[in-house]
Amino acid sequence: MAIFLQSLLSGILVGGVYALIGIGLTIIFGVMRVINFAHGDLLMLGMYVTWGLFALFNIDPYLSLLITAPVLFLWGVLLQKVFINRVLNALPQNQILLTIGMGLVMSNAIMLAFTSDYRILTTSYTSSAFQVFGLSVSQPLLYSFLITVAITGALFWFLQNTDTGQAIRATAQDRDAAQLMGINVKRMSVLAFGLGTAMAGIAGALLAPTYYIFPQVGGPFTLKAFVVVVLGGMGSIVGATLGGILIGVTESLSAVYVASGLKELVVYVLFLLILLFRPAGLLGKSRT
Amino acid sequence: MSSLLRSLRTPRGFSAPAFLAYLAVIGLVALVPQFSRKPLILHMWIMVFLAIAQGSAWNIVGGYAGQYSVGHAAYFGIGAYTTMLLLELHQIAPWYGIGLSMLNAVLLSVVIGSITFRLRGPYFVLASISMAEIIRLAALHFKDLTRGAEGILLNGIPPLETPWFTVKFLGKVPFFYTSLGLAVIVISVTWFVQHSKLGYTFQAIREDQDAAHSLGINPTLHKNLALMLSAAFTAAAGSLFALYVRFIDPNIAFGIDVSVQMVLICIIGGIGTILGPVVGSVVLVLLSESLRNPKWLVQAGLLADSSPTVAFIEARLSNAHVLFYGVLVVVVVLFAPEGFLGLLRTAVARVKKRLAAKPTPPSQPAAAA
Repeated sequence: MAIFLQSLLSGILVGGVYALIGIGLTIIFGVMRVINFAHGDLLMLGMYVTWGLFALFNIDPYLSLLITAPVLFLWGVLLQKVFINRVLNALPQNQILLTIGMGLVMSNAIMLAFTSDYRILTTSYTSSAFQVFGLSVSQPLLYSFLITVAITGALFWFLQNTDTGQAIRATAQDRDAAQLMGINVKRMSVLAFGLGTAMAGIAGALLAPTYYIFPQVGGPFTLKAFVVVVLGGMGSIVGATLGGILIGVTESLSAVYVASGLKELVVYVLFLLILLFRPAGLLGKSRT
Repeated sequence: MSSLLRSLRTPRGFSAPAFLAYLAVIGLVALVPQFSRKPLILHMWIMVFLAIAQGSAWNIVGGYAGQYSVGHAAYFGIGAYTTMLLLELHQIAPWYGIGLSMLNAVLLSVVIGSITFRLRGPYFVLASISMAEIIRLAALHFKDLTRGAEGILLNGIPPLETPWFTVKFLGKVPFFYTSLGLAVIVISVTWFVQHSKLGYTFQAIREDQDAAHSLGINPTLHKNLALMLSAAFTAAAGSLFALYVRFIDPNIAFGIDVSVQMVLICIIGGIGTILGPVVGSVVLVLLSESLRNPKWLVQAGLLADSSPTVAFIEARLSNAHVLFYGVLVVVVVLFAPEGFLGLLRTAVARVKKRLAAKPTPPSQPAAAA
């Protein structure tokens, strides 16, 4: 029982970060209907920015969020304006290829700059843990989870209660109608891609203290982000949050009860089952 | 008699000059080892042939049937693993092994197809990727069958003995001819796909699945047929690759890069065309091999051994080939969505237009007078 609760808990904590990755992807998809295959590589950039700030200036990874998030936001804005904007009306295949290409460029540029060595970011609390009711709670995972909750809450509030947030949601609901209502759809797309990139970057920063940092780290996260988003329902932020936590729990339970080498395999099988039997996801509307 | 003649009638889309040109090119290429046996040069050719085979095989389902599978590493890897395991563990010669590996891939494609073809567009892409990933992770985990991350090292290939001749698989020349043969077969199959009724149904599904369905084409069946054809030849390419490189592990055989490369070959060359994958393979292989191993340029006589370019590439750019792939894809998608072949076609059309337009102006004043 203790093992079950322990792995459930760590699954939920890791799932929080997955949720953040998924939310970034789902915002981008919701507003632009573009599936961003470079999402994991944006996360990788977030990791490297955090690592660089730590290695050069000794800035705490959680504090460096204040720099990482805006930097990644601006990077996302740039990518949207220069690349994504040109393929908004292209075939979905071409959009996918473009983002795959962008991902290859980012991960390999980082590899040329920093080699493919694994980097580790070790803080004073990296391996320390709290003891609660006989369960041990990893400190960095707990901090990451709390920050995730705060950021998700803030984002949700922003989308629900501000004019810009409502405009973004309107664009996601119906691009043409939003434009007819006087919403600057292009600006919303730029904002959405910036926000999505910032979310990926924040997730990277939060993962940095507990994960190996290397140029190819993004690939598996891209795929995981899709699983999270499809599970929750494409375009739904609440769905992505739920999906993230579900995937985190599935991974950590199957690592314990199936085999640690098969935890990702279990996740992909779950993904296929969801795609086949509930393609709209847990909270999504039917896809068209 | 007349019915026999009719059945011998040239197939649709057949043009004698094009066919003769095709044969002439194959003949010329087949003569290459007579002139140069420098290993790096032959290596380049072999890599190009294998890339053509993979790209053309993907093109059947991706280009003609319009189903963007990004999980073809599954078939490539199953081909490579079947042939290698049969040879290493059961001493079954690879020429039988390749056949069995193609059969295996077809069976796998039926399973994968019947699951993934229920989805469309981006969902299909995601499903195909996760299928290949599931197989890669399984190959890493089930060590008893695949030896896991340790991989399979090939000790040697038995000689092929026929009543007329014996082929020893030493050096690069036998691989040059086998991979050339495979490339020629796959290109020919693509030609038949483009000009046969079966191929028309593929293209109808690509253009509008619902319209094709309403005309009595069973989309699921025909997509599966396209995938089976494609999987069989992808597996053959995977087998030859494994035999040539003599080592495979789950990441080399089933890695997502393998799938992406097949798509890139077609996109860069020109998707849904016969020559597209050929052009794409030449571009991609030249690029990646030149950066990975610039010594071939020396062997080809293009650069001197002491050339600073070679030293620079070896020191600075040996890991950069994927970066260039990425840049190439971004540029092609943004500026030439129909690939190099599309660029060429528009250029030719422009020149033709200019040539056709030129003679008219001088004649006009005369007509007016």
